[in-house]
Amino acid sequence: MSVAPPATEAPAPQVGDTPAEGTGARLLRVLLTQRIALLAVLIVAVVVTFFIQDAGGYLTAPYDFDYMSAALINAVPLAMLGLAELLVILSGRGGIDLSVGAIVSLAGMVFGFLYGEWGWPLWMAIVATAAFGALCGALNGFLVSYIGFPALIATLATYYAFKSLAIVINNQEPISTPPIQKLFSLSRSVELPLFGRYVPDVPLGIFTFLLPTAVLVWVLLARTAYGRRLYAIGTNDVAARWAGLPVRDTRFKAYAYAGLLSGLVAVVTVGQFASARPDAGVSGGGMALPAITIAVLGGVAITGGIGRVAGVVLATLLIVWLNAGILLAFVGNAGAQYQLLALGSVLVFAALLNGLTNRRYGGSR
Amino acid sequence: MSTTAVDRHGRPDAGPPPGAPVPPRSRSRASVLPSPMTGQEMVLVAVVAALWVVLGLTTPAFLTAGSLQPLLVATAPIALVGVGMTIVIITGGIDVSVGAAIMVCSVVTAKVLVTDEVNLAVAVLLSVAVGGLLGLINGVLIAYGRVHAIIITFGTANLFLFAGLQIFGSSTVNGIPNTLDFFGRGPGGRTWGVPHAFLLTVLVTALAWWYLRHAAGGRHFFAVGGDAHAARLAGVRVQRRVLLAYLTTGLLVGLASCFTIAQGTSTLDQSVGTGKELAVIAAVVIGGTSIMGGRGSVLGTLLGALLVQSVSSGVTQLGWRSQLSDLFVGIFIIVAVGADLLRARARRSR
Repeated sequence: MSVAPPATEAPAPQVGDTPAEGTGARLLRVLLTQRIALLAVLIVAVVVTFFIQDAGGYLTAPYDFDYMSAALINAVPLAMLGLAELLVILSGRGGIDLSVGAIVSLAGMVFGFLYGEWGWPLWMAIVATAAFGALCGALNGFLVSYIGFPALIATLATYYAFKSLAIVINNQEPISTPPIQKLFSLSRSVELPLFGRYVPDVPLGIFTFLLPTAVLVWVLLARTAYGRRLYAIGTNDVAARWAGLPVRDTRFKAYAYAGLLSGLVAVVTVGQFASARPDAGVSGGGMALPAITIAVLGGVAITGGIGRVAGVVLATLLIVWLNAGILLAFVGNAGAQYQLLALGSVLVFAALLNGLTNRRYGGSR
Repeated sequence: MSTTAVDRHGRPDAGPPPGAPVPPRSRSRASVLPSPMTGQEMVLVAVVAALWVVLGLTTPAFLTAGSLQPLLVATAPIALVGVGMTIVIITGGIDVSVGAAIMVCSVVTAKVLVTDEVNLAVAVLLSVAVGGLLGLINGVLIAYGRVHAIIITFGTANLFLFAGLQIFGSSTVNGIPNTLDFFGRGPGGRTWGVPHAFLLTVLVTALAWWYLRHAAGGRHFFAVGGDAHAARLAGVRVQRRVLLAYLTTGLLVGLASCFTIAQGTSTLDQSVGTGKELAVIAAVVIGGTSIMGGRGSVLGTLLGALLVQSVSSGVTQLGWRSQLSDLFVGIFIIVAVGADLLRARARRSR
């Protein structure tokens, strides 16, 4: 919105920084300007809170490292879609992808056909599903980058289209043939090698999907020329064009990569449900809104050009462990409702904090 | 982006200079206003008409009162919220919390109807008041918290959902009396064969159309969306305009919730309002309102909502899978906005 100042988090040292800044003031400035520090503090606060509640016997089940580790299974799709949103939002000019959940549904059905019905080898089916997701993302990228659609509109349209196709493609029926059901083993927990006896078992999906994805996205953003171009066009695409950067191609690829990640998430969710469900990514509130929430909470500026992989991953951990604790703090399904309260409060809080940070430590005016 | 500050004819889209008295001669004022009907709206009228003719020829039952009345009733809530959403988007914002807000208003009103058996006027006032409160929360946060509308409304959507579910109390609301049948599908909800819900929607749309086009306050919404900074320098109270836009949306959400209750059965379940925010935004963008702000019309939104509802009604009557209508909605968004983009490009190159 044009009333709001662009959300920059870059600290501007010349604004109000007296040389004799006290320890408290410095701490406050670091917390407000370094999103990763804030998230780390919040994670510790959440975990400690629930540990104390657990020790006091207020929770319906123990909140310990085993439980926290098991809860990580929810982090896999959330963080991967958060990273997809990171790439798209970074590309700037109102970049956003509302269609990731619908791509998850549609690619999941494609995976169900390839692996569950036609008996493709697993690795080929996964590669083909990821490629299909990339194709869906490329359609978004084409519309946004080459035709000039506002991202919100293009991805809203493809959200409707993909969602509809995913349901129609198999007459609203899920695919849960035996090979698909066996995929549930993808979401089991494994003991780590070497020191595994001393730490809790970790869900397999963390190692097979989330960690490789996070590392690859980090390399892409922080260690390749493409990443630098993406930050450049997100910060100021007019300047980037005058600097001779391929603005359209760079933005197009961001959407395609987001689609690719959504395709991988489709495989993960099919494994988790042991079934390719036509509404996997759009049921309830859908997957896109939580993913955007994670990205924003992780310090990604909605105006583009600012955001880091570590922020998104930490934001995911915060939400996942917070949600896991809330589930134990309430009897019955009230916990699910309080998760909404927590998510909404955290998001509003983060947004207001961004505004405060701008004004106090280098706001735009 | 540069098109937002320029009207259809390539002239500066100023509206009357804010603060300055409106020029007395209507001819000179008319010359700075966009034409009463934009190209997008004329295209939409043609598309809806063509669709109705095609559907009328293929399924004889389509062009009958029994088919068109439910169509108009179903269009009403989307179009009504769409009026508010159009104003919000004109100011350069967006509100993705309307689906959740519809849920809160519906459940509060339904519960009060069940327990206190209030009459129609009280129920409507209550629902509108609740909606206005929710809109006020959004408006205050966005206008004075100076944060991005899409982020704040994602957050408040979650908070509203929480509030709504708490009021639901993990069950449905049963035995809703037929107090609101004035807005419903039944014979009590029609005058001369036209559903009251649709009549009210047309009335609100007409008022909003006049206000946005001819009142200084209405032009200020466009000024804010075109360039908030310039608008502020020109004397527009930007924050108040932004607040008003979200407040209006909230009030209309309250009225639309009454329509929603009236259209349903005597049972209200927790899925009420789910996904409505995207349906409303779809209607607004199909209607030719620029998501970048500064340009748009409520008339287009009404036509957009009518088009979307006609498509889904037609898909059902043709015996296709009802989910296919979403595919057509997606295609219509692409075509409608794409046509608008092409026209903008043509304007620029001229």
